[in-house]
Amino acid sequence: MKGLIIKDFINLKKNIKILGALTLLYGFMSFAQEDASFFASIFSMLFAILLLSTYSYDDMSKWESFALTMPFQREMIVRGKYYVMLLLTLSGAAFSAIFTVILNVVLKKEDLLGGIQVSAVGAAIVVLYYCILIPFITKLGVEKARYVFFAIYVIPFIIGYMINKNLQNNSLKIPEALLELGDLIMKNVYVIAPLALIAALLISYNISVNIYKKKEF
Amino acid sequence: MVNTAVQNAIEIKNLTKHYKNFSLDNVNFTVPMGSIMGFVGENGAGKTTTIKALLDMIRIDGGEIKVLGGKPVDLSREKKAEIGVVFDGSSLHDNMTAKNINTIMKHIYPNWEVNVFFGYLKKLQLPEDKIIKEYSRGMKMKLSIAIALSHNSKLLILDEATSGLDPMVRDEILDIFLDFIQDEEHTILLSSHIISDIEKIADYVTFIHGGKIIFSESKDSLIYQYGVLHCRKEEIAEIDRSYIVGVRENSFGAELMIRNKEEFQRRFRKFAVEKTSIEEIMLFISRGKER
Repeated sequence: MKGLIIKDFINLKKNIKILGALTLLYGFMSFAQEDASFFASIFSMLFAILLLSTYSYDDMSKWESFALTMPFQREMIVRGKYYVMLLLTLSGAAFSAIFTVILNVVLKKEDLLGGIQVSAVGAAIVVLYYCILIPFITKLGVEKARYVFFAIYVIPFIIGYMINKNLQNNSLKIPEALLELGDLIMKNVYVIAPLALIAALLISYNISVNIYKKKEF
Repeated sequence: MVNTAVQNAIEIKNLTKHYKNFSLDNVNFTVPMGSIMGFVGENGAGKTTTIKALLDMIRIDGGEIKVLGGKPVDLSREKKAEIGVVFDGSSLHDNMTAKNINTIMKHIYPNWEVNVFFGYLKKLQLPEDKIIKEYSRGMKMKLSIAIALSHNSKLLILDEATSGLDPMVRDEILDIFLDFIQDEEHTILLSSHIISDIEKIADYVTFIHGGKIIFSESKDSLIYQYGVLHCRKEEIAEIDRSYIVGVRENSFGAELMIRNKEEFQRRFRKFAVEKTSIEEIMLFISRGKER
């Protein structure tokens, strides 16, 4: 499986220049606005998007059929992609955290480590996002899953907007218990969020493996 | 049929797979260890589907398959690593180099041999640092074959590995296969619609047509059993239909493909039966008017 991960990273090598250019661009923008949080939020996302490129590269070269002839079980191919996703997201978060701290030093901000939190939240959202998306990619292929990609992105906004509108129209208030639950979650977010992410990863991985085992090529 | 007493690298029994517009219908054949089996048939006849079933890439609706002694789905990592596969097209990423491929494969195949791989690159004149995008089709195929041969493969499964290549490159590749088969534990299943390649190197030929196996026999016995005769159209009626494989008629007369050549010649002395080729046999079976 290590070979599969190396394969994806070799394929992504040509994106380094683009990432370098974007680092300069966003670095300059953050510097001009004297605010590094923008930089922190964007980079986990930029790195994570590269995972979709690895699927596209595999599709273009018909790699998957070849990979199925190699000496490992089908689930290894799926597991490889989850590892690549996690490695990319964590690299993105680490990269953005380091640069945010540097920017904060340059900008002489008091809260030097503020960006790290933003990077970590960004990474968590990206992992959760992929937990939903990877099973769809496994089932439909990356081309068709693009529509799901946009749906997952837009649906939470639409639902949030509708709930908000409904509450306002009916002059309803959010139930007290729900607010308290929200408070409780926020207070323990550093425990709950990682646990929830691990659970999401395990569920998503198992769904993807089940889909992949039944897939015909 | 091929003698099954010897150990077989591949055994396919009653393989059935249904698609909406196509079915593999009770496919049976075996590939004896140490031999080259040519797997021939027109495009869409079922060659790739059979190979996909062999490699557990599709679910089968019926039948039994054994590869290197085990069911494809149950093969151990070591056994699976002994199978080298080359598909039509390279299956390799365009922006990689042969060196990159080596880095990847040495982490994938437990039996990967770096020296053997680079030896093949040199022998086949494949540049190590050039990206695959800049390779010609022939070079891509040679690289895929180099990969298949660099992990101590005992069984090579090649799906249209020589199609679309110029005769020089095809010849070079066929020579590599002949080298590989020198080891009596090595076996090749070579699917192709280029019959001349099969005639050149195969020991056995399996002919698939419309999802059914028409014959699976040794090349020599096919050439020995079948023959072509030329006669007038009216004379066809004189011939026992059980001998006729196919008929081609033209304005000058008729050409008949005959089976059981020796017996036929004893019974019908007035007709002279000529030697034939695998390609002719296939064409008569698939395109000749059946009798």
